Amino acid sequence: MTDRGLLGRDVLVLLALTGWGLALPHYASEFVVSLGLTCLMYVTLSTSWSLFCGSTRYLSLATSAFFGLGAYASALGLERQLPWASVIVIGAAIAVGVAIVMGAAVLHLRGTYFAVLTFGMTELIRHALAYFEKQVSGTVGRVLTTVPEGATVYLTVLALAVLALATSIVVRRSRFGLAMSGIGADEQRAQTLGVNTRLVKLAGFAITAGFAGAAGAAMAVRWTYIDPQTVFNPFIGFQTVLIALIGGAATLWGPLIAAIVFSLLAETLRLQLPQLYMMALGLLLILSVLYLPGGLASLRWQTVTGWWRGAGARLARGALAWRVRGAGRG
Amino acid sequence: MAECLLEACDVTVRFGGLIAVDNVSASFEAGELAGIIGPNGAGKTTFFNAISGVIAPTSGRLIASGRDLTGQRPHAYARHGIARTFQTPRVFAEMTVAANVAFGLKFAGRGRPAPWLLRDADGILELIGLADRAAMPAAGITPSQQRLLEIGMALATRPRLLLLDEVAAGLTESELESMAQLIRRIRSELDLAVVWIEHAVTTLLRHVERVLVLHQGRKIADGPPAVVVRDAEVIEAYLGDEMVETGPTGPTAHDGRAPAGAHA
Repeated sequence: MTDRGLLGRDVLVLLALTGWGLALPHYASEFVVSLGLTCLMYVTLSTSWSLFCGSTRYLSLATSAFFGLGAYASALGLERQLPWASVIVIGAAIAVGVAIVMGAAVLHLRGTYFAVLTFGMTELIRHALAYFEKQVSGTVGRVLTTVPEGATVYLTVLALAVLALATSIVVRRSRFGLAMSGIGADEQRAQTLGVNTRLVKLAGFAITAGFAGAAGAAMAVRWTYIDPQTVFNPFIGFQTVLIALIGGAATLWGPLIAAIVFSLLAETLRLQLPQLYMMALGLLLILSVLYLPGGLASLRWQTVTGWWRGAGARLARGALAWRVRGAGRG
Repeated sequence: MAECLLEACDVTVRFGGLIAVDNVSASFEAGELAGIIGPNGAGKTTFFNAISGVIAPTSGRLIASGRDLTGQRPHAYARHGIARTFQTPRVFAEMTVAANVAFGLKFAGRGRPAPWLLRDADGILELIGLADRAAMPAAGITPSQQRLLEIGMALATRPRLLLLDEVAAGLTESELESMAQLIRRIRSELDLAVVWIEHAVTTLLRHVERVLVLHQGRKIADGPPAVVVRDAEVIEAYLGDEMVETGPTGPTAHDGRAPAGAHA
Protein backbone atom coordinates (compact mmCIF):
# COMPACT_ATOMS: atom_id res chain seq x y z
CA MET A 1 0.00 0.00 0.00
CA THR A 2 1.18 3.52 -0.66
CA ASP A 3 1.95 5.98 2.09
CA ARG A 4 -1.07 8.00 1.12
CA GLY A 5 -3.30 4.92 1.31
CA LEU A 6 -1.98 4.15 4.77
CA LEU A 7 -2.54 7.73 5.88
CA GLY A 8 -6.10 7.54 4.58
CA ARG A 9 -6.69 4.38 6.57
CA ASP A 10 -5.24 5.89 9.74
CA VAL A 11 -7.36 9.01 9.44
CA LEU A 12 -10.43 6.82 8.88
CA VAL A 13 -9.63 4.91 12.07
CA LEU A 14 -9.34 8.20 13.90
CA LEU A 15 -12.64 9.53 12.53
CA ALA A 16 -14.42 6.28 13.30
CA LEU A 17 -13.26 6.38 16.90
CA THR A 18 -14.28 10.02 17.28
CA GLY A 19 -17.72 9.38 15.80
CA TRP A 20 -18.29 6.27 17.86
CA GLY A 21 -17.11 8.03 21.01
CA LEU A 22 -19.34 11.04 20.43
CA ALA A 23 -22.40 8.94 19.60
CA LEU A 24 -22.11 6.51 22.50
CA PRO A 25 -23.56 8.65 25.35
CA HIS A 26 -26.64 9.41 23.24
CA TYR A 27 -27.98 5.91 22.94
CA ALA A 28 -26.19 3.73 25.48
CA SER A 29 -26.95 3.08 29.13
CA GLU A 30 -24.91 4.60 31.90
CA PHE A 31 -23.11 1.30 32.43
CA VAL A 32 -22.09 1.10 28.77
CA VAL A 33 -20.88 4.69 28.79
CA SER A 34 -18.73 3.96 31.81
CA LEU A 35 -17.35 0.95 29.92
CA GLY A 36 -16.69 3.28 27.01
CA LEU A 37 -14.79 5.60 29.33
CA THR A 38 -12.51 2.78 30.45
CA CYS A 39 -12.00 1.83 26.80
CA LEU A 40 -10.99 5.36 25.89
CA MET A 41 -8.63 5.55 28.85
CA TYR A 42 -6.81 2.42 27.69
CA VAL A 43 -6.82 3.68 24.09
CA THR A 44 -5.03 6.82 25.34
CA LEU A 45 -2.61 4.91 27.55
CA SER A 46 -1.67 2.12 25.17
CA THR A 47 -1.53 4.31 22.05
CA SER A 48 0.82 6.78 23.70
CA TRP A 49 2.81 3.95 25.29
CA SER A 50 3.36 2.27 21.90
CA LEU A 51 4.27 5.56 20.31
CA PHE A 52 7.50 5.60 22.32
CA CYS A 53 7.99 2.05 23.59
CA GLY A 54 6.79 0.31 20.43
CA SER A 55 9.17 2.10 18.11
CA THR A 56 12.23 2.43 20.35
CA ARG A 57 11.70 -0.96 22.04
CA TYR A 58 12.30 0.57 25.45
CA LEU A 59 9.80 -1.30 27.62
CA SER A 60 8.60 1.20 30.20
CA LEU A 61 6.64 0.01 33.22
CA ALA A 62 6.23 3.53 34.55
CA THR A 63 2.76 4.18 33.13
CA SER A 64 1.11 3.81 36.53
CA ALA A 65 3.56 6.33 37.99
CA PHE A 66 2.55 9.00 35.46
CA PHE A 67 -1.10 8.05 35.73
CA GLY A 68 -0.95 8.26 39.52
CA LEU A 69 0.88 11.59 39.48
CA GLY A 70 -1.78 12.99 37.17
CA ALA A 71 -4.53 11.68 39.42
CA TYR A 72 -2.93 13.21 42.51
CA ALA A 73 -2.36 16.52 40.78
CA SER A 74 -6.01 16.47 39.80
CA ALA A 75 -7.20 15.77 43.36
CA LEU A 76 -5.05 18.57 44.78
CA GLY A 77 -6.05 20.96 42.01
CA LEU A 78 -9.76 20.32 42.42
CA GLU A 79 -9.41 20.84 46.18
CA ARG A 80 -8.17 24.33 45.33
CA GLN A 81 -11.08 24.93 42.93
CA LEU A 82 -8.86 25.13 39.87
CA PRO A 83 -10.68 25.01 36.52
CA TRP A 84 -11.00 21.55 34.95
CA ALA A 85 -8.88 22.22 31.84
CA SER A 86 -5.98 23.55 33.90
CA VAL A 87 -6.22 20.49 36.18
CA ILE A 88 -5.68 18.22 33.15
CA VAL A 89 -2.80 20.35 31.87
CA ILE A 90 -1.12 20.43 35.29
CA GLY A 91 -1.49 16.64 35.57
CA ALA A 92 0.20 16.20 32.19
CA ALA A 93 2.90 18.77 32.98
CA ILE A 94 3.87 17.13 36.27
CA ALA A 95 4.08 13.75 34.58
CA VAL A 96 6.26 15.24 31.82
CA GLY A 97 8.54 16.84 34.38
CA VAL A 98 8.99 13.61 36.31
CA ALA A 99 9.51 11.68 33.04
CA ILE A 100 12.33 14.02 32.04
CA VAL A 101 14.10 13.55 35.37
CA MET A 102 13.45 9.80 35.37
CA GLY A 103 14.42 9.50 31.71
CA ALA A 104 17.69 11.34 32.24
CA ALA A 105 18.51 8.83 34.97
CA VAL A 106 17.51 5.56 33.30
CA LEU A 107 17.25 6.01 29.52
CA HIS A 108 20.87 5.02 28.97
CA LEU A 109 19.95 1.52 30.18
CA ARG A 110 18.40 -1.00 27.86
CA GLY A 111 16.19 -4.05 27.98
CA THR A 112 15.36 -5.62 31.32
CA TYR A 113 17.36 -3.06 33.28
CA PHE A 114 15.31 -0.21 31.91
CA ALA A 115 12.02 -2.05 32.51
CA VAL A 116 12.94 -2.98 36.08
CA LEU A 117 14.18 0.50 36.93
CA THR A 118 11.06 2.21 35.61
CA PHE A 119 9.01 -0.18 37.71
CA GLY A 120 11.20 0.48 40.74
CA MET A 121 10.85 4.23 40.31
CA THR A 122 7.07 3.84 40.13
CA GLU A 123 7.14 2.09 43.49
CA LEU A 124 9.45 4.76 44.86
CA ILE A 125 7.05 7.53 43.83
CA ARG A 126 4.08 5.65 45.26
CA HIS A 127 5.75 5.11 48.62
CA ALA A 128 7.07 8.65 48.69
CA LEU A 129 3.54 9.97 48.26
CA ALA A 130 2.19 7.59 50.91
CA TYR A 131 4.90 8.88 53.26
CA PHE A 132 4.04 12.45 52.39
CA GLU A 133 0.35 11.86 53.10
CA LYS A 134 1.07 10.26 56.45
CA GLN A 135 3.97 12.31 57.79
CA VAL A 136 3.54 15.74 56.25
CA SER A 137 -0.13 16.33 55.70
CA GLY A 138 -1.33 13.80 58.27
CA THR A 139 -3.81 12.22 55.91
CA VAL A 140 -4.23 8.89 54.15
CA GLY A 141 -5.82 10.00 50.92
CA ARG A 142 -7.96 12.66 49.32
CA VAL A 143 -11.71 12.94 49.14
CA LEU A 144 -12.90 14.45 45.88
CA THR A 145 -15.91 16.59 46.63
CA THR A 146 -16.18 19.04 43.76
CA VAL A 147 -16.01 16.95 40.63
CA PRO A 148 -17.13 17.84 37.13
CA GLU A 149 -20.10 16.12 35.51
CA GLY A 150 -19.75 12.63 34.08
CA ALA A 151 -20.26 13.93 30.55
CA THR A 152 -17.36 16.39 30.93
CA VAL A 153 -15.05 13.63 32.11
CA TYR A 154 -16.14 11.39 29.24
CA LEU A 155 -15.55 14.07 26.61
CA THR A 156 -12.19 14.93 28.16
CA VAL A 157 -10.97 11.34 27.96
CA LEU A 158 -12.38 11.03 24.42
CA ALA A 159 -10.43 14.15 23.45
CA LEU A 160 -7.27 12.67 25.00
CA ALA A 161 -7.75 9.40 23.10
CA VAL A 162 -8.25 11.24 19.81
CA LEU A 163 -5.26 13.48 20.54
CA ALA A 164 -3.10 10.43 21.35
CA LEU A 165 -4.08 8.75 18.09
CA ALA A 166 -3.56 11.94 16.08
CA THR A 167 -0.15 12.46 17.69
CA SER A 168 0.74 8.90 16.85
CA ILE A 169 -0.35 9.35 13.21
CA VAL A 170 1.71 12.52 12.85
CA VAL A 171 4.79 11.30 14.72
CA ARG A 172 4.97 8.04 12.79
CA ARG A 173 5.39 10.07 9.60
CA SER A 174 7.85 12.57 11.02
CA ARG A 175 11.62 12.67 11.33
CA PHE A 176 11.14 12.26 15.07
CA GLY A 177 9.24 9.02 14.49
CA LEU A 178 11.93 7.78 12.10
CA ALA A 179 14.59 8.58 14.69
CA MET A 180 12.70 6.50 17.27
CA SER A 181 12.42 3.57 14.84
CA GLY A 182 16.14 3.86 14.17
CA ILE A 183 16.80 3.71 17.91
CA GLY A 184 14.62 0.61 18.12
CA ALA A 185 16.46 -1.07 15.26
CA ASP A 186 20.05 -0.22 16.28
CA GLU A 187 20.59 2.68 18.62
CA GLN A 188 24.32 3.12 18.04
CA ARG A 189 23.96 2.92 14.28
CA ALA A 190 21.27 5.60 14.43
CA GLN A 191 23.66 7.73 16.49
CA THR A 192 26.45 7.39 13.95
CA LEU A 193 23.99 8.48 11.25
CA GLY A 194 23.34 11.72 13.12
CA VAL A 195 20.48 11.03 15.54
CA ASN A 196 20.78 12.76 18.90
CA THR A 197 19.46 9.65 20.62
CA ARG A 198 19.43 11.02 24.15
CA LEU A 199 17.23 13.94 23.17
CA VAL A 200 14.89 11.85 21.03
CA LYS A 201 14.40 9.24 23.76
CA LEU A 202 13.76 11.90 26.37
CA ALA A 203 11.19 13.64 24.17
CA GLY A 204 9.43 10.37 23.32
CA PHE A 205 9.32 9.28 26.95
CA ALA A 206 7.98 12.69 27.97
CA ILE A 207 5.16 12.56 25.39
CA THR A 208 4.09 9.11 26.64
CA ALA A 209 4.17 10.37 30.22
CA GLY A 210 2.20 13.49 29.37
CA PHE A 211 -0.69 11.45 28.01
CA ALA A 212 -0.65 9.07 30.98
CA GLY A 213 -0.61 12.05 33.36
CA ALA A 214 -3.52 13.72 31.59
CA ALA A 215 -5.47 10.45 31.57
CA GLY A 216 -4.80 10.03 35.29
CA ALA A 217 -5.93 13.58 35.99
CA ALA A 218 -9.17 13.03 34.11
CA MET A 219 -9.89 9.58 35.54
CA ALA A 220 -9.16 10.53 39.16
CA VAL A 221 -12.62 12.00 39.56
CA ARG A 222 -14.17 8.60 38.87
CA TRP A 223 -13.13 7.63 42.36
CA THR A 224 -14.66 9.72 45.10
CA TYR A 225 -11.70 8.95 47.29
CA ILE A 226 -8.09 8.43 46.19
CA ASP A 227 -4.96 7.30 47.97
CA PRO A 228 -1.55 6.27 46.62
CA GLN A 229 -2.50 2.55 46.61
CA THR A 230 -5.46 3.20 44.29
CA VAL A 231 -4.02 5.60 41.76
CA PHE A 232 -0.55 4.04 41.51
CA ASN A 233 -2.16 0.64 41.03
CA PRO A 234 0.43 -1.29 38.97
CA PHE A 235 -2.42 -3.12 37.27
CA ILE A 236 -3.12 -0.04 35.13
CA GLY A 237 0.48 0.02 33.92
CA PHE A 238 0.65 -3.70 33.29
CA GLN A 239 -2.65 -3.77 31.47
CA THR A 240 -1.44 -0.92 29.23
CA VAL A 241 1.72 -2.82 28.33
CA LEU A 242 -0.18 -6.08 27.78
CA ILE A 243 -2.73 -4.38 25.53
CA ALA A 244 -0.01 -2.74 23.46
CA LEU A 245 2.04 -5.94 23.15
CA ILE A 246 -0.90 -8.18 22.37
CA GLY A 247 -2.26 -5.69 19.88
CA GLY A 248 1.12 -5.04 18.28
CA ALA A 249 3.04 -2.11 19.67
CA ALA A 250 4.61 -1.12 16.36
CA THR A 251 1.27 -0.37 14.70
CA LEU A 252 -1.34 2.30 15.17
CA TRP A 253 -4.52 0.27 15.19
CA GLY A 254 -3.22 -2.84 17.01
CA PRO A 255 -3.19 -1.22 20.46
CA LEU A 256 -6.41 0.61 19.60
CA ILE A 257 -8.41 -2.54 18.85
CA ALA A 258 -6.78 -4.43 21.73
CA ALA A 259 -7.59 -1.59 24.13
CA ILE A 260 -11.25 -1.74 23.21
CA VAL A 261 -11.48 -5.55 23.31
CA PHE A 262 -9.56 -5.95 26.55
CA SER A 263 -11.14 -3.18 28.54
CA LEU A 264 -14.54 -4.64 27.63
CA LEU A 265 -13.34 -8.09 28.58
CA ALA A 266 -11.78 -6.75 31.77
CA GLU A 267 -14.90 -4.96 32.93
CA THR A 268 -17.27 -7.80 32.17
CA LEU A 269 -15.11 -10.74 33.22
CA ARG A 270 -13.64 -9.01 36.25
CA LEU A 271 -17.04 -8.60 37.76
CA GLN A 272 -17.87 -12.28 37.46
CA LEU A 273 -14.63 -14.19 37.16
CA PRO A 274 -11.67 -12.00 38.14
CA GLN A 275 -9.09 -14.81 38.22
CA LEU A 276 -10.23 -16.14 34.87
CA TYR A 277 -9.67 -12.75 33.25
CA MET A 278 -6.12 -12.44 34.56
CA MET A 279 -5.36 -15.99 33.51
CA ALA A 280 -6.76 -15.39 30.04
CA LEU A 281 -4.72 -12.20 29.71
CA GLY A 282 -1.54 -13.96 30.83
CA LEU A 283 -2.12 -16.83 28.43
CA LEU A 284 -2.78 -14.47 25.53
CA LEU A 285 0.38 -12.53 26.29
CA ILE A 286 2.47 -15.72 26.30
CA LEU A 287 0.90 -16.89 23.05
CA SER A 288 1.34 -13.55 21.33
CA VAL A 289 4.97 -13.16 22.43
CA LEU A 290 5.80 -16.73 21.35
CA TYR A 291 3.89 -16.93 18.08
CA LEU A 292 3.03 -13.37 17.12
CA PRO A 293 5.90 -11.13 18.22
CA GLY A 294 4.41 -8.34 16.10
CA GLY A 295 1.12 -8.60 18.00
CA LEU A 296 -2.35 -9.28 16.67
CA ALA A 297 -1.91 -6.47 14.15
CA SER A 298 0.73 -8.52 12.36
CA LEU A 299 -1.72 -11.37 11.91
CA ARG A 300 -2.41 -11.99 8.24
CA TRP A 301 -4.18 -14.74 6.38
CA GLN A 302 -0.73 -16.05 5.37
CA THR A 303 0.25 -16.37 9.03
CA VAL A 304 -2.62 -18.73 9.66
CA THR A 305 -2.02 -20.74 6.48
CA GLY A 306 1.69 -20.77 7.42
CA TRP A 307 0.87 -22.36 10.79
CA TRP A 308 -1.35 -24.84 9.01
CA ARG A 309 1.40 -25.79 6.58
CA GLY A 310 3.94 -25.91 9.41
CA ALA A 311 1.73 -28.27 11.32
CA GLY A 312 1.27 -30.40 8.18
CA ALA A 313 5.01 -30.55 7.58
CA ARG A 314 5.63 -31.53 11.19
CA LEU A 315 3.07 -34.31 10.91
CA ALA A 316 4.66 -35.53 7.68
CA ARG A 317 8.13 -35.48 9.26
CA GLY A 318 6.79 -37.39 12.24
CA ALA A 319 5.20 -40.00 10.02
CA LEU A 320 8.42 -40.35 8.01
CA ALA A 321 10.52 -40.75 11.17
CA TRP A 322 8.11 -43.35 12.40
CA ARG A 323 8.30 -45.27 9.14
CA VAL A 324 12.12 -45.05 9.04
CA ARG A 325 12.32 -46.41 12.57
CA GLY A 326 9.93 -49.17 11.57
CA ALA A 327 12.10 -49.98 8.53
CA GLY A 328 15.22 -50.05 10.71
CA ARG A 329 13.65 -52.59 12.96
CA GLY A 330 12.37 -54.68 10.06
CA MET B 1 48.37 22.38 2.10
CA ALA B 2 45.13 20.42 2.13
CA GLU B 3 42.51 21.09 4.76
CA CYS B 4 42.77 18.95 7.87
CA LEU B 5 39.48 17.09 8.43
CA LEU B 6 40.34 15.26 11.59
CA GLU B 7 43.18 15.56 13.99
CA ALA B 8 43.64 12.98 16.71
CA CYS B 9 46.12 14.10 19.35
CA ASP B 10 47.61 11.56 21.76
CA VAL B 11 44.48 9.45 21.81
CA THR B 12 44.51 6.73 24.45
CA VAL B 13 41.74 4.24 25.11
CA ARG B 14 41.99 2.09 28.19
CA PHE B 15 39.66 -0.76 29.14
CA GLY B 16 40.45 -1.47 32.77
CA GLY B 17 44.07 -2.61 32.75
CA LEU B 18 44.22 -3.07 28.98
CA ILE B 19 45.49 -0.24 26.83
CA ALA B 20 43.70 -0.75 23.51
CA VAL B 21 44.93 2.46 21.89
CA ASP B 22 48.14 3.90 23.22
CA ASN B 23 48.90 7.55 22.61
CA VAL B 24 48.09 7.59 18.90
CA SER B 25 48.27 10.85 16.98
CA ALA B 26 47.24 11.15 13.38
CA SER B 27 45.61 13.67 11.12
CA PHE B 28 43.61 13.09 7.96
CA GLU B 29 43.43 15.59 5.15
CA ALA B 30 40.79 16.32 2.55
CA GLY B 31 40.86 13.96 -0.40
CA GLU B 32 43.38 11.43 0.85
CA LEU B 33 43.02 7.66 0.75
CA ALA B 34 44.69 6.14 3.78
CA GLY B 35 44.79 2.62 5.11
CA ILE B 36 45.23 1.26 8.60
CA ILE B 37 46.75 -2.14 9.09
CA GLY B 38 47.87 -4.13 12.07
CA PRO B 39 47.57 -7.61 13.50
CA ASN B 40 44.41 -8.75 15.28
CA GLY B 41 43.94 -6.86 18.52
CA ALA B 42 46.22 -4.03 17.41
CA GLY B 43 43.52 -1.49 18.27
CA LYS B 44 42.36 -0.58 14.76
CA THR B 45 38.64 -0.79 15.41
CA THR B 46 39.00 0.79 18.85
CA PHE B 47 40.83 3.68 17.20
CA PHE B 48 37.90 4.05 14.76
CA ASN B 49 35.46 3.91 17.67
CA ALA B 50 37.37 6.70 19.35
CA ILE B 51 37.57 8.96 16.30
CA SER B 52 33.88 8.50 15.48
CA GLY B 53 32.67 9.20 19.02
CA VAL B 54 31.40 5.67 19.63
CA ILE B 55 33.65 5.42 22.66
CA ALA B 56 35.14 8.32 24.54
CA PRO B 57 38.94 8.21 24.65
CA THR B 58 40.49 7.94 28.11
CA SER B 59 42.76 10.83 27.19
CA GLY B 60 43.71 12.86 24.15
CA ARG B 61 41.88 15.30 21.91
CA LEU B 62 39.86 14.99 18.72
CA ILE B 63 39.53 17.98 16.46
CA ALA B 64 37.30 17.86 13.37
CA SER B 65 37.76 20.66 10.84
CA GLY B 66 39.06 22.92 13.59
CA ARG B 67 36.30 22.10 16.08
CA ASP B 68 37.05 20.23 19.28
CA LEU B 69 34.73 17.22 19.49
CA THR B 70 36.45 15.41 22.35
CA GLY B 71 33.90 13.67 24.55
CA GLN B 72 30.98 14.37 22.22
CA ARG B 73 28.61 11.64 21.16
CA PRO B 74 28.61 9.99 17.70
CA HIS B 75 25.87 12.18 16.22
CA ALA B 76 28.09 15.23 16.65
CA TYR B 77 30.87 13.52 14.68
CA ALA B 78 28.39 12.53 11.97
CA ARG B 79 27.13 16.10 11.74
CA HIS B 80 30.67 17.36 11.35
CA GLY B 81 31.30 15.18 8.35
CA ILE B 82 32.80 12.04 9.86
CA ALA B 83 31.00 8.88 8.78
CA ARG B 84 31.83 5.27 9.48
CA THR B 85 30.82 1.73 8.68
CA PHE B 86 30.84 -1.19 11.09
CA GLN B 87 32.85 -4.38 10.75
CA THR B 88 29.74 -6.55 10.96
CA PRO B 89 27.10 -4.82 8.83
CA ARG B 90 24.61 -3.05 11.07
CA VAL B 91 21.85 -2.23 8.65
CA PHE B 92 18.26 -1.60 9.78
CA ALA B 93 17.07 -5.11 8.97
CA GLU B 94 13.35 -4.43 8.77
CA MET B 95 13.60 -1.29 6.66
CA THR B 96 14.02 -1.43 2.91
CA VAL B 97 17.42 -0.89 1.34
CA ALA B 98 16.26 2.52 0.11
CA ALA B 99 14.99 3.50 3.58
CA ASN B 100 18.33 2.50 5.10
CA VAL B 101 20.08 4.92 2.78
CA ALA B 102 17.45 7.62 3.23
CA PHE B 103 17.97 7.52 7.00
CA GLY B 104 21.33 9.25 6.95
CA LEU B 105 20.06 11.85 4.48
CA LYS B 106 17.35 12.84 6.95
CA PHE B 107 19.70 13.23 9.92
CA ALA B 108 23.42 13.97 9.67
CA GLY B 109 23.16 14.54 5.91
CA ARG B 110 20.46 17.17 6.25
CA GLY B 111 21.67 20.66 5.56
CA ARG B 112 25.15 19.51 4.57
CA PRO B 113 26.44 20.36 1.11
CA ALA B 114 25.12 17.67 -1.22
CA PRO B 115 27.38 16.52 -4.06
CA TRP B 116 25.39 15.46 -7.13
CA LEU B 117 26.03 11.75 -6.56
CA LEU B 118 24.68 12.01 -3.02
CA ARG B 119 21.68 14.16 -3.92
CA ASP B 120 19.13 11.54 -2.86
CA ALA B 121 18.70 7.86 -1.99
CA ASP B 122 18.44 6.86 -5.67
CA GLY B 123 21.73 8.54 -6.47
CA ILE B 124 23.48 6.74 -3.62
CA LEU B 125 21.95 3.37 -4.51
CA GLU B 126 23.15 3.89 -8.09
CA LEU B 127 26.66 4.67 -6.84
CA ILE B 128 26.93 1.58 -4.63
CA GLY B 129 25.24 -0.61 -7.22
CA LEU B 130 22.17 -1.61 -5.24
CA ALA B 131 19.56 0.28 -7.27
CA ASP B 132 17.80 -2.96 -8.21
CA ARG B 133 17.54 -3.95 -4.53
CA ALA B 134 15.99 -0.65 -3.38
CA ALA B 135 12.61 -2.05 -2.35
CA MET B 136 13.90 -5.17 -0.62
CA PRO B 137 14.14 -5.36 3.16
CA ALA B 138 17.78 -4.99 4.19
CA ALA B 139 17.62 -8.37 5.93
CA GLY B 140 16.90 -9.99 2.57
CA ILE B 141 20.08 -9.02 0.69
CA THR B 142 23.35 -10.95 0.75
CA PRO B 143 26.08 -10.19 3.31
CA SER B 144 28.32 -8.68 0.65
CA GLN B 145 25.46 -6.45 -0.49
CA GLN B 146 24.95 -5.47 3.14
CA ARG B 147 28.56 -4.31 3.22
CA LEU B 148 27.85 -2.09 0.22
CA LEU B 149 24.72 -0.85 1.95
CA GLU B 150 26.78 0.04 5.04
CA ILE B 151 28.88 2.26 2.77
CA GLY B 152 25.72 3.75 1.25
CA MET B 153 24.30 4.54 4.70
CA ALA B 154 27.54 6.24 5.69
CA LEU B 155 27.65 8.22 2.43
CA ALA B 156 24.11 9.43 3.06
CA THR B 157 25.44 11.55 5.93
CA ARG B 158 27.34 13.45 3.18
CA PRO B 159 30.67 13.06 4.93
CA ARG B 160 34.02 14.63 4.23
CA LEU B 161 35.83 11.78 5.95
CA LEU B 162 34.69 8.19 5.51
CA LEU B 163 35.94 5.53 7.92
CA LEU B 164 35.64 2.01 6.50
CA ASP B 165 36.07 -0.87 8.92
CA GLU B 166 36.86 -4.08 7.02
CA VAL B 167 34.26 -3.55 4.34
CA ALA B 168 35.95 -6.20 2.20
CA ALA B 169 36.15 -8.94 4.84
CA GLY B 170 34.89 -12.25 3.55
CA LEU B 171 34.59 -11.09 -0.05
CA THR B 172 35.83 -13.18 -2.96
CA GLU B 173 38.89 -12.07 -4.93
CA SER B 174 36.82 -10.39 -7.66
CA GLU B 175 34.40 -8.79 -5.18
CA LEU B 176 37.42 -7.49 -3.28
CA GLU B 177 38.77 -5.83 -6.40
CA SER B 178 35.46 -4.19 -7.28
CA MET B 179 35.11 -2.99 -3.69
CA ALA B 180 38.54 -1.36 -3.99
CA GLN B 181 37.48 0.25 -7.27
CA LEU B 182 34.30 1.54 -5.62
CA ILE B 183 36.28 3.06 -2.77
CA ARG B 184 38.67 4.77 -5.19
CA ARG B 185 35.75 6.04 -7.21
CA ILE B 186 33.99 7.41 -4.12
CA ARG B 187 37.16 9.15 -3.05
CA SER B 188 37.86 10.77 -6.39
CA GLU B 189 34.34 11.64 -7.50
CA LEU B 190 33.06 12.85 -4.15
CA ASP B 191 36.30 14.48 -3.12
CA LEU B 192 36.23 13.00 0.35
CA ALA B 193 38.93 11.43 2.44
CA VAL B 194 38.78 7.70 3.09
CA VAL B 195 40.45 5.81 5.92
CA TRP B 196 40.25 2.11 5.31
CA ILE B 197 40.96 -0.73 7.73
CA GLU B 198 41.43 -4.06 6.04
CA HIS B 199 42.99 -7.44 6.76
CA ALA B 200 43.66 -8.07 3.06
CA VAL B 201 46.95 -6.19 3.33
CA THR B 202 48.27 -6.71 -0.19
CA THR B 203 45.10 -5.35 -1.79
CA LEU B 204 44.99 -2.46 0.64
CA LEU B 205 48.62 -1.50 0.03
CA ARG B 206 48.02 -1.53 -3.71
CA HIS B 207 45.30 1.10 -3.48
CA VAL B 208 46.12 3.50 -0.65
CA GLU B 209 48.56 6.39 -0.77
CA ARG B 210 49.33 6.33 2.89
CA VAL B 211 49.26 3.60 5.47
CA LEU B 212 49.27 3.67 9.26
CA VAL B 213 50.44 0.61 11.12
CA LEU B 214 49.12 -0.11 14.59
CA HIS B 215 50.73 -2.67 16.82
CA GLN B 216 49.63 -3.38 20.38
CA GLY B 217 47.74 -0.11 20.42
CA ARG B 218 50.69 2.03 19.32
CA LYS B 219 51.21 3.63 15.94
CA ILE B 220 54.51 2.23 14.70
CA ALA B 221 54.53 3.61 11.18
CA ASP B 222 52.75 6.19 9.05
CA GLY B 223 53.64 6.98 5.45
CA PRO B 224 53.50 5.86 1.83
CA PRO B 225 53.13 2.06 1.52
CA ALA B 226 56.41 1.65 -0.29
CA VAL B 227 58.24 3.27 2.61
CA VAL B 228 56.25 1.69 5.40
CA VAL B 229 56.78 -1.87 4.21
CA ARG B 230 60.52 -1.33 4.42
CA ASP B 231 60.30 -0.25 8.01
CA ALA B 232 62.11 -2.71 10.22
CA GLU B 233 59.68 -2.45 13.10
CA VAL B 234 56.71 -3.03 10.78
CA ILE B 235 58.25 -6.09 9.25
CA GLU B 236 59.12 -7.38 12.67
CA ALA B 237 55.66 -6.74 14.11
CA TYR B 238 53.35 -7.62 11.36
CA LEU B 239 54.37 -8.00 7.77
CA GLY B 240 57.18 -10.42 8.47
CA ASP B 241 55.62 -13.84 8.21
CA GLU B 242 52.92 -12.92 5.71
CA MET B 243 55.28 -11.23 3.32
CA VAL B 244 57.89 -13.93 3.57
CA GLU B 245 55.29 -16.37 2.40
CA THR B 246 54.09 -14.29 -0.53
CA GLY B 247 57.21 -12.41 -1.60
CA PRO B 248 59.56 -14.08 -4.09
CA THR B 249 62.74 -13.15 -2.25
CA GLY B 250 61.35 -12.46 1.18
CA PRO B 251 62.75 -9.41 2.89
CA THR B 252 64.91 -9.96 5.88
CA ALA B 253 64.43 -7.38 8.53
CA HIS B 254 67.44 -5.27 7.58
CA ASP B 255 68.07 -5.53 3.87
CA GLY B 256 65.92 -2.50 3.09
CA ARG B 257 64.17 -4.00 0.08
CA ALA B 258 60.40 -3.71 -0.25
CA PRO B 259 58.40 -6.90 -0.29
CA ALA B 260 56.98 -7.83 -3.67
CA GLY B 261 53.36 -7.08 -2.91
CA ALA B 262 53.92 -3.42 -2.24
CA HIS B 263 54.97 -2.07 -5.61
CA ALA B 264 51.90 -2.03 -7.83
